Amino acid sequence: MRYETVIGLEVHVELATSSKIFCSCSAHSYGAEPNSHVCPACCGMPGMLPVVNKRVVDYGMKAGMMLGCHINRTTTFDKKSYYYPDLPAAYQTTQWFAPVAVNGVVEIETSKGKKNVRIKQIHMEEDAGKLVHDIREDTTHVDFNRTSVPLIEIVSQPDLSSAEEVEAYLERLKTLLRYAKVAECEMAHGTMRCDVNLSVRPEGSNKLGVRAEMKNMNSIEAIKRAIEYETARHIDAIENGTEELRQETRRWDDIKGKSYAMRTKETAGDYRYFPDPNVMPVVIDDEWFDSIKASLPEFPEVKKERYISEYGLGEYDADQLTKSIALCECFEAAYGVCKSAKDAANWMISEVMSILNQKKMTYDMLDLDGKALGELILLVSGGTVGRANAKKILAAMFDDASIEPKAYAEANGYVVSNDTGMIEAVIKAVIAADPKSVADYKSGKEKALMALFGKCMKELKGNCDPQTLRKLLIDSIS
Amino acid sequence: MDREILRRLELLNQLSLTEQEKESVIAFFSDREKDLETLDAIDTADVERMVHVMPIMTVVREDKVSQIFSREELQAAAPETDEGYWCVPKVME
Repeated sequence: MRYETVIGLEVHVELATSSKIFCSCSAHSYGAEPNSHVCPACCGMPGMLPVVNKRVVDYGMKAGMMLGCHINRTTTFDKKSYYYPDLPAAYQTTQWFAPVAVNGVVEIETSKGKKNVRIKQIHMEEDAGKLVHDIREDTTHVDFNRTSVPLIEIVSQPDLSSAEEVEAYLERLKTLLRYAKVAECEMAHGTMRCDVNLSVRPEGSNKLGVRAEMKNMNSIEAIKRAIEYETARHIDAIENGTEELRQETRRWDDIKGKSYAMRTKETAGDYRYFPDPNVMPVVIDDEWFDSIKASLPEFPEVKKERYISEYGLGEYDADQLTKSIALCECFEAAYGVCKSAKDAANWMISEVMSILNQKKMTYDMLDLDGKALGELILLVSGGTVGRANAKKILAAMFDDASIEPKAYAEANGYVVSNDTGMIEAVIKAVIAADPKSVADYKSGKEKALMALFGKCMKELKGNCDPQTLRKLLIDSIS
Repeated sequence: MDREILRRLELLNQLSLTEQEKESVIAFFSDREKDLETLDAIDTADVERMVHVMPIMTVVREDKVSQIFSREELQAAAPETDEGYWCVPKVME
């Protein structure tokens, strides 16, 4: 029998705000002392009242709009009962009855073509703190720095059916949320986390199989491995009766490549959601709604089309540049200065992106001043700096954002020389030292000229217009 | 409300009730169920759904960071702390 995997995802994304969702403690405590970014509110002390951070609602709405959702103009917070010491109030303030965004759709593309994945809802909620279990044997140590850091949870419908589709979906979410600048979405940093709900059923069946929810996956590769393992486990259980499948939460161990049962899955009723009496409804009026709508970025596909139609870029170049909003912004700023979209795109794709790859940085980590790149491109196209030296300047710009290309080129002797007397002196010395190459060239070996050219350019430290050098070299030999 | 639902609620609320308390809770919730049945009988087909009993909305604050309390103040009344952490009974084997 043939089977199909049915997958729905719950994706938690940490919003890029400065402060927490319900108090003014910093939301950024990576590497900080434990409990150094806390207050009575996020420590769940009695009598404390939450006050909603406006930017969290801004970003929740923005994420919803990016994912094609309907925005609930009156959105409310609810309490989710939860007994665990990482949330000191014994409940999580989240959204259940009227989440900020509902009924969206995200288009993904895989080797099988395009597909729509429906979004059930996006809700805003507070993160939990961190527990440390290995400092002492007899206690668990609690750090509330992360408690109340704002999250959105993006809940998809069970529309995904393979690891490839899940990867495409997560990449699409990342791209859209990063374009909107509402979140970093870096799984390695924990700013994007994913729970996978998976079941297996005979192909063509309308009935869903027994569902397992998998947690603890911190990379897309781990998620793909977990999906493949879990699909095989379900099929084995159905076909061979190796085990009785139960609705449960499972933990993925990526090192062992196995999933383990954690607990029998709670139902929504177990959480006993009820409206939080401490937070009044958030009412989004027209002015607020319109201001967020007006702040939405150009979508990647629209940008790509514009790069092709307006800037005359090829499909490949436009596709590469629109992979990340950071690349787009750098490219557009560079183009604004150098006024050549083709040059700017070439430098971005062949130099900037390759440096990012060498440094094992993601495209979104690009922090290069696009205007400075534009100036560097002008120095090259105007013949002031040779391409080889321009690459050195670019590498330096990656390490030091304050570098101004022209001043740096002058200070480091990277400015092309127009002193033909000096160039001819170098040529004369090179020719004298390599009579064999001169003889080879004269006997018709074109490659010998390139060898001499390279030696001259090396002596001149790249600071020479290649065409001028070539002409003077040929003249000298002849 | 029956014994099975009560057992589930005890588990979820981390409670352990005596027999006498169980009888009393079951009686209380059974009465409340009757109240709900009474409310259920009201025709609300033409009533717009409300999100809150009061016509009020929340205030929001700007996204600004301030650190008002020190860790020492917050942990002053804690039964046990260690290296800046609150300590609780071990929750994982």
